[in-house]
Amino acid sequence: MNAHDPHLSTKFDDGIAPGEELLHVDNISLSFGGVKAITDISFDVLKGEIRAIIGPNGAGKTSMLNVINGFYHPQEGTITFRGEKRRKMKPYQAASSGISRTFQNVALFAGMSTLDNIMAGRTLKMHKNFFWQMWRQGPALQEEILHRKVVEEIIEFLEIEAIRKEPVGTLPYGLQKRVELGRALAAEPDLLLLDEPMAGMNLEEKEDMSRFIIDVNQQYGTTIALIEHDMGVVMDLADRVIVLDYGKKIGDGLPHEVQSNQDVIDAYLGVSH
Amino acid sequence: MFYREAGQFKATYEADSAKFPIFQDKLFIWFYLVIGFVAIPLLGNEFFLGAIMIPFLVFTLAAIGLNILTGFTGQISLGSGAFMGVGAYACYKMTLAYPEVNILIFIFASGIFSAIVGVFFGLPSLRIKGFYLVVSTLAAQFFLEWAFQRIPWLYNYNNTGAIDGVSRWLFGIQITGGGADRTAQYIVCLAIVVVMTWFASNIISGRIGRSWMMIRDMDIAAELMGVRPLYAKLSAFAVSSFYCGVAGSMMVFLWLGAAEPESFDYNHSFEILFMVILGGLGSLLGCFLGAAVIWILPILIREWLPPLIDKITPWVITSSTADLVSDIIIGIMIVVFLIMEPHGLARLWAIIKQKLRVWPFPY
Amino acid sequence: MELLKQIFIEPFETMYALPDLLLQTLWEGFVSGTLYSLIALGFVLIFKASGVFNFAQGIMVVFAALCLVGIHALGVPAYLALILTLGVMALLAMSVVQFVMKPLVNQPDIILFMSTIGITFILIAGGQIIFGGEPKAMITEELGLPTGSSVLEVSGGIVIFQHIDIAAAIIAAILIAGLALFFNKTKIGRALRAVADDHQAALSVGISLEQIWVVVWFAAGVVALTAGILWAAKSDVSFALQVIALKALPVLVLGGFTSIPGAIIGGLIIGFGEKLFDLYWGVPLLGGGTESWFAFIIALLFLLYRPEGLFGEKLIERI
Repeated sequence: MNAHDPHLSTKFDDGIAPGEELLHVDNISLSFGGVKAITDISFDVLKGEIRAIIGPNGAGKTSMLNVINGFYHPQEGTITFRGEKRRKMKPYQAASSGISRTFQNVALFAGMSTLDNIMAGRTLKMHKNFFWQMWRQGPALQEEILHRKVVEEIIEFLEIEAIRKEPVGTLPYGLQKRVELGRALAAEPDLLLLDEPMAGMNLEEKEDMSRFIIDVNQQYGTTIALIEHDMGVVMDLADRVIVLDYGKKIGDGLPHEVQSNQDVIDAYLGVSH
Repeated sequence: MFYREAGQFKATYEADSAKFPIFQDKLFIWFYLVIGFVAIPLLGNEFFLGAIMIPFLVFTLAAIGLNILTGFTGQISLGSGAFMGVGAYACYKMTLAYPEVNILIFIFASGIFSAIVGVFFGLPSLRIKGFYLVVSTLAAQFFLEWAFQRIPWLYNYNNTGAIDGVSRWLFGIQITGGGADRTAQYIVCLAIVVVMTWFASNIISGRIGRSWMMIRDMDIAAELMGVRPLYAKLSAFAVSSFYCGVAGSMMVFLWLGAAEPESFDYNHSFEILFMVILGGLGSLLGCFLGAAVIWILPILIREWLPPLIDKITPWVITSSTADLVSDIIIGIMIVVFLIMEPHGLARLWAIIKQKLRVWPFPY
Repeated sequence: MELLKQIFIEPFETMYALPDLLLQTLWEGFVSGTLYSLIALGFVLIFKASGVFNFAQGIMVVFAALCLVGIHALGVPAYLALILTLGVMALLAMSVVQFVMKPLVNQPDIILFMSTIGITFILIAGGQIIFGGEPKAMITEELGLPTGSSVLEVSGGIVIFQHIDIAAAIIAAILIAGLALFFNKTKIGRALRAVADDHQAALSVGISLEQIWVVVWFAAGVVALTAGILWAAKSDVSFALQVIALKALPVLVLGGFTSIPGAIIGGLIIGFGEKLFDLYWGVPLLGGGTESWFAFIIALLFLLYRPEGLFGEKLIERI
């Protein structure tokens, strides 16, 4: 095995020390036609923290994530990720610079097995060209096996060994969410975006998922930004919380600060604007 | 009972991801190869080789091409007939220009031309999905059909307007043109198909194949995972058209011996699409099964139905009516399969294998 | 240089020199444009109501025309034959819904699309077995459609207006307007649009999917019959029509898959475009016969520039 043998047991190294700024979002505004989805939002995410984004439905949380990983292009504002400042980027660029995510409605590759789905997460790490792939011998096979090892580590970590070769379309929802987390992890992201990782789960599944999120954060040092509706979970998991309402930021700070913020309470209790 | 993986443990990931993980599968594949390369050439007659086996192989290859695009990448195409034509005409022009070069090289090289044309007509796929692509590939179909008819340079200013397979030799045996050795043609076809199927299965199980399937299953998620749609889709178009192109030049040089523009008309595109649907979208085995059914069924019906009708009813039907009957049967089969088993014959085969595994017990 | 002149100057010189030829071409383009619109309308109806891209629409045109001629050939009076043909189209609509659409409800679009290709094959082969494959003359006079032509003199030349063409344009316009009214103003029309948006949601508010589908497939059958009669009155009833009917697809690309005005304008653009292109550029430069692909290539170029069509809705993708 060569020196580049990818192994998940060490922390993902991206050259940024814990506590430094990993992502900075500056004055982002996004609209669709006449509808303003996000108005002038700024915040930062520090290396190694778990940052929660909360807010009522339609507050612009998912749109914010879509902006961060390049799926939506904001009309105004910039995003600085690992010191690189951009307005527009392609999802591909976001992925290759180390942003990976899961989706609100599970977006697995339904026709592929669990194993292939997680292998799919390693797309960007594999480079052997078409002609090697055609022969599937030597370097291409070696690469495939090498990455399979990493994927197997993730499978072990998420405790989904038993469903390794099942097509994901047939799996129960909770497991699908777990496979999706695995797929995002397989990219060894610097920043992991989780869009409602616990939506529609029962208490037990939520506990499992929370444990996985904390483990990912601590074991691999991955920075996580997550959207979640369950306040109990958010308060327990998050280091800092951003609150959005009607596309505007109305609160930002430590969980207990946000909890006592009057604007936030109003937004959730529905005080008229 | 006989088809069981019990006791066959895989100790490496390499073994676990092998094409034929079970010993019995390996046995089967060797068995088929021996039949294909030894038994059929020894026992098959001119009709069996020329009218059944060679066309079956040609269409299998074209079906693999279309399946790469439609079954694995999720892009519908109705232009495969025309892409076969590009291969055929390219091969024809090349071998006329350089008669001394081995024809096999040109058969493969013709795929490259077809791939280039395929990529061009695949460009809209970057912005559109689904049905819109049908229009784009039909554009390829009708434009290329027109080109084959109206550009005399392509058919070398023949007064027939057709291209004919010029005579070429391989290892001293004539394999193309009039009077070519059928058995040799068959073996060449089989060798090409086996090798290209093996390549296809390798590509599909690797990174590139996965990126195709990612685009097929959830293109947005694929993009967010770092797949560039440009590369993934166009590479699928290129590989798909390459396969179709090679199938097209095989069709002219190793099977028909000559071809008119009508040989590549849109009915062919449909026929190939049907093979893929019936065989199983996203399955290489399905391409073989689909091609077998769609090619051989009409032959059987043409052979058997008219005498049968003659015998048991007062009516007489011609063989062209029998062809129409097989068209209807194929149409019905398509609908029935889409309803009952959208993954086609390949899935049925998998189910049978599963049953074999537990036989004689039901579970 | 010579080529540039041939492309950019000479065609317009010809147009100026022979205005009668230009006018005649425009008229022919207009007539085939209305017929393309009519065929495209059949696609739009089914696509709007069920999200199914009905590839069989083209063959339905041929099948309906064949049926009419075939029934008439048995000695049935023309108008009765017309009614019987409508009955056949209704039967076809019901069987398609019963045997294909219903079992495939909630399947991916691509599966539904492929099933319509299966239907296409069944109809082509079935039509040939029942009615024979040879071209037949349309019973234009028996149906009371006008024949003959009027001649208009234009600066030294003449332009011929076939009366059937005039009738075709008028009938197509009436049919299109009627359908547009029906789908925008009636209760069934509203239910239909609800179904198009979301099958299950429509079911849950008590709309009968089956009924709606039968209605649209039948409406598409009526449109197909009309298009078949009008087109076949110009040429003949033959299976070659089916390929022509495929040109409704580029029309849809131009117009947008869900828009009725789009289908009309798209049809006219293609109709004018292919006639003018073939006469002034196709024949002198490319050896003619460009009508077979012109519409598709235009659609292809258009797709690269504006994939949602002229009137289609731009979708915001969500995830």
